[in-house]
Formats: sequence, structure tokens, C-alpha cells
Amino acid sequence: MRTPRRLAAAAAAAAVIGLAACSGSGGSSAIGNGAASSATGQKVQGGTATLAWPDGSAPNLIFPLAPATNTNGYNANLTQLMWPYLVYDGDGAQSAVNPQESLFSSLTYGNGDTTITIKLKPWKWSDGTPITSRDFTFVYNLLKANVPNWVVYTPGLFPDDVKSVATPSASTIVVTLTRSYNADFYTDNVLSQIPLLPQQAWDKESAGGKVGNYDETAAGAKAVWAFLQKEGSDLSTFTTNPLWKVVDGPFTLASFSSDGDYTYAPNKNYSGTVPALSRVVNQVFTTDTAEMDALRSGTSLTVGTLPQNDVGQVATLKSEGYDVVNQPIPGAAGTLLNFYNAKTGPLVSQLYIRQAMEELIDRPQIVSKIFQGYADPGDGPVPVQGFGQWVSPLEKQGGPYPYDPAKAVSLLKSHGWQVTPSGTSVCQAPGTGPAECGAGITKGEPLSFQLLYSSGTASVDEAQAAIQSSEEQGGIKITLKSEPFATLASVIGQCTASSHPASTCGWQLVDFGYDPYQLDPTGNTLFNTGGANNLGGYSSPEEDALINETEYGSSAQTFYTYEDYTAEQLPWLWGPLPSQIDVYKSGLGGFAPLNPFRGSINPEDWYYTK
Amino acid sequence: MAVGDLTAMAAAGEQSPRHRSGFRAWAGNPRALAGAGTVAALAVFCFFGPVFYHTNQVTVNLNAATHPPGAGHPLGTDGDGYDVLGRLMVGGQSSLELGFAVAAATTVIGVLYGAVAGWAGGVVDMVMMRVIDTFLALPTLVLLLLLVTIFTPTLLSVIVLLTALSWLGTARLVRGEVLALRTREYVQAAKTLGGGRWWIIRRHLVPNAFGVIVVSATFTIADAILMLSVLSFLGLGLPPPAADWGTMLANGLNYLFDGYWWMVYPPAVILVVMLVAINLAGEAARDTLDIRLRRR
Amino acid sequence: MTSYLARRAAQAIVVVIGVTILTFILIHLIPGSAARAALGVHATSGRIAIFNTAYGLDKPLYAQFADYVGQLLRGNLGVSYTTQQPVSALIAQRLPGDVLLLGVSTVLAVAIAIPMGIYQAVKRSRLSDQLLDAVSFTLYTMPDFFVAFMLIALFSVQLHILPPEAPQATGIAGLLADPRALVLPIATLTLSNLAGFSRYMRASAIDVLAEDFLRTARAKGLPERLVLVRHVLRNSVLPVVTVVGLTFPNIIAGAVIAEAVFSYQGMGLLFYQAATSHDYPVLLGSTLIVGAATVVGSLAADVAYGLLDPRIRHGRG
Repeated sequence: MRTPRRLAAAAAAAAVIGLAACSGSGGSSAIGNGAASSATGQKVQGGTATLAWPDGSAPNLIFPLAPATNTNGYNANLTQLMWPYLVYDGDGAQSAVNPQESLFSSLTYGNGDTTITIKLKPWKWSDGTPITSRDFTFVYNLLKANVPNWVVYTPGLFPDDVKSVATPSASTIVVTLTRSYNADFYTDNVLSQIPLLPQQAWDKESAGGKVGNYDETAAGAKAVWAFLQKEGSDLSTFTTNPLWKVVDGPFTLASFSSDGDYTYAPNKNYSGTVPALSRVVNQVFTTDTAEMDALRSGTSLTVGTLPQNDVGQVATLKSEGYDVVNQPIPGAAGTLLNFYNAKTGPLVSQLYIRQAMEELIDRPQIVSKIFQGYADPGDGPVPVQGFGQWVSPLEKQGGPYPYDPAKAVSLLKSHGWQVTPSGTSVCQAPGTGPAECGAGITKGEPLSFQLLYSSGTASVDEAQAAIQSSEEQGGIKITLKSEPFATLASVIGQCTASSHPASTCGWQLVDFGYDPYQLDPTGNTLFNTGGANNLGGYSSPEEDALINETEYGSSAQTFYTYEDYTAEQLPWLWGPLPSQIDVYKSGLGGFAPLNPFRGSINPEDWYYTK
Repeated sequence: MAVGDLTAMAAAGEQSPRHRSGFRAWAGNPRALAGAGTVAALAVFCFFGPVFYHTNQVTVNLNAATHPPGAGHPLGTDGDGYDVLGRLMVGGQSSLELGFAVAAATTVIGVLYGAVAGWAGGVVDMVMMRVIDTFLALPTLVLLLLLVTIFTPTLLSVIVLLTALSWLGTARLVRGEVLALRTREYVQAAKTLGGGRWWIIRRHLVPNAFGVIVVSATFTIADAILMLSVLSFLGLGLPPPAADWGTMLANGLNYLFDGYWWMVYPPAVILVVMLVAINLAGEAARDTLDIRLRRR
Repeated sequence: MTSYLARRAAQAIVVVIGVTILTFILIHLIPGSAARAALGVHATSGRIAIFNTAYGLDKPLYAQFADYVGQLLRGNLGVSYTTQQPVSALIAQRLPGDVLLLGVSTVLAVAIAIPMGIYQAVKRSRLSDQLLDAVSFTLYTMPDFFVAFMLIALFSVQLHILPPEAPQATGIAGLLADPRALVLPIATLTLSNLAGFSRYMRASAIDVLAEDFLRTARAKGLPERLVLVRHVLRNSVLPVVTVVGLTFPNIIAGAVIAEAVFSYQGMGLLFYQAATSHDYPVLLGSTLIVGAATVVGSLAADVAYGLLDPRIRHGRG
């Protein structure tokens, strides 16, 4: 999870449909969604665009399939423009697959959704060789031999669920799965993680060796993988190694510096539309204030992000020649609860306590006053603005637990708590009866928690302070502690019934920001028992069943059932998710509308106008 | 490494006059008066101000956030809706408590350590000094992070932390003083007369090193307050709703470009005024207590 | 002199060793696991185990330290956990910039502070002294980040005449290629140092001006300017030498605040990032280098002090 910045491409996307908003007209301080681009005028070829990246975003691997030990999400940002995925997430502002930039010309599910027939576009690699089905089997063979050592590997999904792969022609692939899947889910979330790699250039075991079909044996596939990983980690050869010059995406790497700055040049042999810009510079900034300074000083920075608390500067920025556009982030946001913390585990295990805590958070006020309206209201697991058709009616109307301090207090009282607003409530009636505190809660136990969150963003600091303050109305005492993100990550681990060691499960409440969704906002990994992102250990058989149904079933109603149940069960405390606000030089066409599934990284579409 | 204690070090090695007349000389110095007077006035503002000017510095009030100075809020409100003027008072309490507590603790520990090292001399002295060198070369940031991640930062833990970093300079200073002083005749005489080690340290060495100690202490106050502001800037400061000037300034800077000047300049000004006043008093102490200057 | 140097050098080595051991212990005391910091929150226990074995983190502390020392003696500073780059490469990439920025600003600060301090001492208690006093006090007490912000607000955002970031290129040549971008960071660092140095210089010059030997020089008919330059300067510069020696390690350690504000990826930020993410090899490597710089600076200051002050040269050995 990250506090809102650029999305790593392994991240999901959400639909941005039907946002009724004005486009960013000059002079006004409202921020539109960029549905109508303000760049009119003639498209010009050439020009350099400079993008701002946050601190710590330096890539360290250029081989597109990262090993399990390399979780640097920014590597994907580096490689996806050179070796795009088979399925390209996000079509402009739509949460749909982009047909122009995807590598397939058709995707058909058959035999009860157990076979996928993929037809490839007649595109070529930059060295002139056509992209063929052999490139797909190359990737498949590499993954099959080397999982679980693949960073986006999910046990049970690709390549585990593939029974066989057939290549009836150079442009056709038939994948037979071990079971049937919801076609949208599989296309959106699984096939969108798989790039095509140039078998004709990369199927080698050593730098001086010849290209062969080594991937067809398990031992050979392992050797090729090891070789490519090694070459791909050598920063100093990113631009010189001939391997990395063979690309099928819109860009190639023109320069790379180990501090994270790198520059793209267009791939002249790209089979799609060759980018109009002649250079795209990616520059790392140490803090968002430094980025802000660069924007305000009118330097070469073309695209940057605006911190939420600086929304007041939009009018000034517009008058200085920038456009500002807001982009809802497709992710699940909130405060994680540790169900297995020795002290507070029993407290959060009680649904009524979670309910009371949620009802004490004035989310609408936080959205309007701290995030200036540019945030998702946080009513449930699915962001309302991001995901159009996936949002259930319950969430649309505000979710099951709107702000209601009176209700929260009476809920606590009815379960035997002595509520002391601005103090700390204590349990008066221990026990497991309907009017008692609950299992594992002793008499006199206080309702107090420590909330950890990551430091560095002014608006987040304020939001947490607001939450702390409003929880006091129910006598719930929250102690805040903020640490740099990396420090936080080092002390938080997954806590489950079977394993919750004190060293990594001492946390009680933690807020990392958000967990990104892919095109299909499934709760898998977030709310299912043992899910990789289910750090607090929430476990419910009914929840697991509902999530399963969304992956294998197909109706929208199935999804709404899962969504409403999850919203009511509060495996997390839902909270607002601030949007990303992008600032870009006026006259940069193609920037808007934004593709939230790519974190607005689609420089292949940008162009300057006269 | 506090720059202030090095000034004092530059003056070390000189015989300081008896502290009784020194105080009167200091009190007569106009800089000392200006400095100490300002500190006293600010202390009154911080500790007694809230009695007359009530504000809620604990409950977040988003509806009143980032309001410019006006009715009900002479200095406006900050991002959480807290009244800035009231927060300056409450924050000042923390800042002042921190500064003086760190200075006091540092002085006690530093004097003891330095006196022992200086008096013992020889190998003991060398080892004790190399220990100080080692701790001085330690990366402060690691120590800070260690303590901040183990403990939730409270005022007390930050005081302990800053003391742990500051006592080294004082110890070095005092040791230098003691080293120089113990060769003086009156000390030799006291030894011959059978004076015990601790008695000599207490009766002769400390009073004569007094000037250096006082100067160092005043600079420690200022450095401690500054250090907390740097901690806040790095995100390692006191968590809400605690207030102190440094955090107010660090947070306020986020709003500088939005034009919310009242979140930036008031804490900056009061911080600078306070620190300048403390440094003035300290410099005056150095001026009046240094015997060579009195001749001029 | 040589025996003094030899003794101090031996002590210096002991200090550096001590610092390394202490830092090693301290960083392992920080709660949290390096594996989780490097692999992220969703790391499975399997991956964590692989990581720990690969880096020897599952061995007892003394064994890890022994491994590290062995590695050091072979000239290998290890590999960063978070970026997978060799520590020596990281330091080699970031150090020159810091040396440039901080070295230049220290030299500038000294160059301005010395005449300023002497001037203030000569005009002691007059208006010009009071004014310069006020300015240097104010600068001295303002936090670094505040000074940096004010400079950016004025010169970059308001006036648009200087860029708000330090040059982004690596290597000295790259940095020097963009001199306009060097102005604000160097100015910030100079102003911070200047205040302290000039106060020293002033205090020290005041002391020297009260000395008897000046009376002799003046009695001999030496013009005041020569008195100042030949005698006052030479004698009052000693404490400043000590201070410069003591700030020398800062040149190597970088300045976290200035780097953060001016978006310059230098040693200070390297250290901060390593410290917050349990990147032990980088932390230890940086500490070693900074520790070495500290003792070298301190030793150089003592030696220079001895060379400049005849009393000490002949007195101590």
C-alpha cells in the first residue's frame, strides 16, 4: 500500500465513468477530471516532457518479470512502456481494456470459459521480427519453471491454472485453463500482468551464447531466467545492453541514471502510433514541496502532482500556464485493524465496536475540509467515484455507517460500556451476553488504541488528527504515531489466527494509504482469510464464499452482495481516499482524460500544440 | 555538535572570577538584561497567557480550519482549526520546558563527567575523552530513529533523547576547564592541606568553571529547541495534539505558498526572538565572566 | 610532532572502530525487520526467510559483525538492501556533489566570517557591530529549513530568477554545468555556517585585541591595518580552525534538510533513507566514512592549531 502517489503499474485501475465535472477552464479554481482536454491547436511533433516522480522511485530492474524478492513497484513503470502487457488496462478515462495499445486483436472465451483463444496483432519487435505466439509461450515457460519466484504471482492463478498452451499459428494462442473463470476477471486482472517478451533475442543462457529454445525445458527455463535477472539488475548497462534494445512498446530507453532519473525516446519501429514527443524525462524529487517549488517557479517540469493541502493554489497555477486535473484513485482505503493484537484484538473482533468507531468518523467533513472535496467518501470497499458499474446502491447512498456519534455512543452503552466523551470509555459489563462487552474483554478495560500511519503528507496528518479528535466523542482514545513509510513497513506483518508473533503483530491500527485495485475490484487478497493483503487477519467463511463467487460467477448482483456484506462487516474502518491531482503545462495535449489504471503514465499519447 | 559550546570552549582555559561578583556584573550588562527580560516576558506569555486567553488546543475543528486573522482569532487558525495565538502559548510551554530541562540535565551530567575526567587525568581522562569522541562521531539520525521508533515521542522521551546528544559537548568543556584549573596554586594548596577530591571539585573547580558552564547551558537551551523543530520537519516530532513552535513552523511551511502567512511567520518570529534572547543572555554571560575582557 | 601524530592516529583508529561497533549494535536495536522494509508489507514469510538467509540476517549478531569486518577488509562495503546497488557505488555517486556543495559553502562562510568577525571586534559595541550582531544572531537561530524556504519563496517563486532545485546531474562536471541551480543551496548552507563562524571569529578577535603584544606592535609604529592582518588575524583565526575541523565531517555527511528541500540526492538523504528502511550496509558504510572524516577533521584541526599557535607548537608534543 502506498500513500497516494503515482501508481505502480502492477496496481489496478478503476473505472472513471460518468463524472459530471467541468473541464479545467483557465482562471477558475475548480479542478475538473479533464474529460475535455483544454489543449486545442495543431498537434506538433517533437518536444520534451518532464515528469515528476516521488522520492524512492528509482527502478533497479529492467527485466519485466521481477523475482519475488524485488518488490520495487517502480520497475513496472520503467518497463511497461517498452514491453507492454498483453492486455492494456484503462481506455482513456474508462475502466475498460484499451484495444489500440493491447497486443491482441481478439480475445475469445469458450468451452464454458475454460479456454481462451488469443489472436495477436500483426505487430513487430523493434528489430523487425514479428511478434508471434512463440513469444507468449516463451513467457509462459519462463514463469512455469520459476514460480513462485515471480513478484506478482498469486498461487492458483497464472500459470498454475493453465492446463495447456497451444499455438495453432504464429498469431494464435489457445490457453486451456484448469477451471472456468469469470472472463472479465481473468482478462482484466490476470492477462493484464503478462507482457510478451522477444524469444528471438532473449532465449539465451549467457551473454555470449546463442539464442535457442532453452525455455522448453525446465532446467533451461531456469537458466534463462537467472541470466535475464542478472543482466536486468545491472543499472550501468540498461541503455547499452543489446537485450534491452529489443522492444515492442512505444518507447526505448535513451538514458538512465542510478539515482532514478531516466529518459525515454520514441521507438521508431513501434507498430502502433509512434509517440509525438521526442523525449520523455522522468525526474525524481525528494519531497512534494520540492516538486511544488519547481512547478511554481516555472521550470522545465511538465507534469507534477499537487498535494491536497495546496489546492488553494490552483488558480495561481492556472494563471501561470498550467492545467490542473483530478484523478480519483482506484483503491481501497482505510484503517487496518489487527484482530490478533494481544491487547486490542478482542476489542476489534466485536462488530459493534467496529461499527461505533466507524460511526464516529466524520468522513464527509474530512473530504470537504481537508481534501477540499477531492477524495472518495470512503463508504465501503469500492471507491464510489472510481468504479462506476461496480458500485452498489448501498455504497452510492453513503454506505451502511454514516457519521452518527449519538448512535455510536448508544451502541457502546447498550453493550455495557461506560462512555466518557473526551475521556476513555471502560467496560462495565464483561461477558458474552447480548448486553455485555464481549469475549475476551475484561472489566475496566479501556477503549484505547494506537494508530500508526506514515508521515510526510500534511493533509494526511490533519485527517488523522481529525479522526483522533472525533473518536473522543465516544470516549475512544486514539494515540497517534507517525513514522516514515519504510519504518512502518518494517514493523508490520501479517497476523493470522495461526501466526501472530509479537514482533510484527504489536500494531493495533495502521493506515498505509490505500491498496490499489485492478480493473475488477475484487476483494481477493484483501478480505479473504489468509489473503496476502489481509494484514489484520479478518476471517469470515461467508466473506470467503462471497469473494469466490465474484471470481467465478458472472453477475453484477453477485458483486453487490459481496460489496454490501463487506461494507457492513468492517474488516477495515473505511476512510476517504484522496484523489491524485495532476498539474501539467497547458498546451500538453493528450494528457487528459487521465487513465487512473496507469497512474496517468501514458506519455505515448501526449503531444504539444502550437 | 552545538556551536555555542565551542564559543565557550574558546574562552575556556582562562581563570574565571568568583561567581558572586560575576552575577552582578552580568546583571548590569544591558544585553543580559534585554535577553533575560525577553525570556521572562515570553515565559509569562506562554504559561500565564492561557489563563486569560482560553482556546481549545485538543479538539480538531475542521470548520474553522485555515481561517485568516480576524474576529475571535487574532492570529488566525491552522490546518486543524486550532487558534494560532493560543497554540503559540501552549507550544511555547513545551518548547521552554524542553529547552530548560535539556539544559539542566545536560549540565548536571556534563559537569560530573567532565570534572571526573579532568581531575583524574592520565589514562582515565584519555579513555573518557575517547568515549566522548566515539559518541560524537555516532550518526545522530540513527539514534533519533531508534528512540523515536521504540517510544511514541512524548515530551519526556524527546528531552531524554536530546540530553543524550547534548551532554557530550558540556563534558568536554568542563573537562578542559578542570584540566586547566587543577594546576592552579590554590588547588595545590588545598590538596596539601588534605582536602578530599570531591570537596575540591565542589569548592574550587566548579565555581571557577562556572562561567563556562553557564554559557554552555544557555546555548544548549537554544540548540534543544532548534533540534526539536528539525525533528518535526523530518516527521519525527511530537504527535498531535501536542504543540511546540518547531512543529508549528514545520507544518505551517506546507501552506506558505497558499498565502496562509499566519501559520508561518508567527511561530518563526517567536522562535527566533526567544532563541536570540537566550543567546544574548549567554553571550553577555561570556562577556562579563571572562576576566581578560574586564581589563579593557 | 610525529609521535603526537602517531599517537593520535592510533587513537583515531580505535575511535572509528568503536563508532562502527556502536552503530552496528544500534541499528540492530531499531525495532522492525530489514527484510520487511526492503520487501514491503505484503512479503510472505517464505520470501522473508530467503532474504534473511541471503544476507546473513538469521545469524547471531557477533557472527554478522565478523562477516561484515571480513568483507570490509576485502574492500567490499556490501550491497544496499533496498536498491540492490553496491554501497561503494552509491557513495561514490553521491559524495562528490555533497563535497562540492558543502565544501564551497564552508569556504565561503569562512571567507566572509573572518573579515566580518574582525570588523565587528574592532567596532565593538558601535552601531555597525550591533547591526551585524543582530543579523548573525537571527541567522544563527533560524532553522535551516526555514532559511531554505524563504530563499526559494523569494528567488524562485516570486522573482523566477533562480531555480528551486539543486542540479540533478551526478558527478562534479554535471553539477558545475548548471551554476544557477547551485546558488540557492550554497547560499542556504553558507548562511547557516556563516553565523556561527563569525560569532567565533568576533569573540576570538575581541580576546586577541585585548592582548598586550598588540600594544607593543602599535608602539613600534605599525599601521593599524597591518596590526590587524599580521597579528590579530593570525591569532584569532585559531578557534575558527578548530570549528572548521569539527564541521568537516558535515561535508561528508551531507545536509539532510538542504538536500530534502532542494531535491538533491546526497549523502544526507542516503543516510536518512537507509536509517528509516533498515538498510544496514548503507548505514554502516556511511557511518564508517563519516566517522573517518570526523577523526580526520578533528586531527587536522589540532595539527593546524599547533602549527599556527607558536605557544602550542613548542609546548605540547
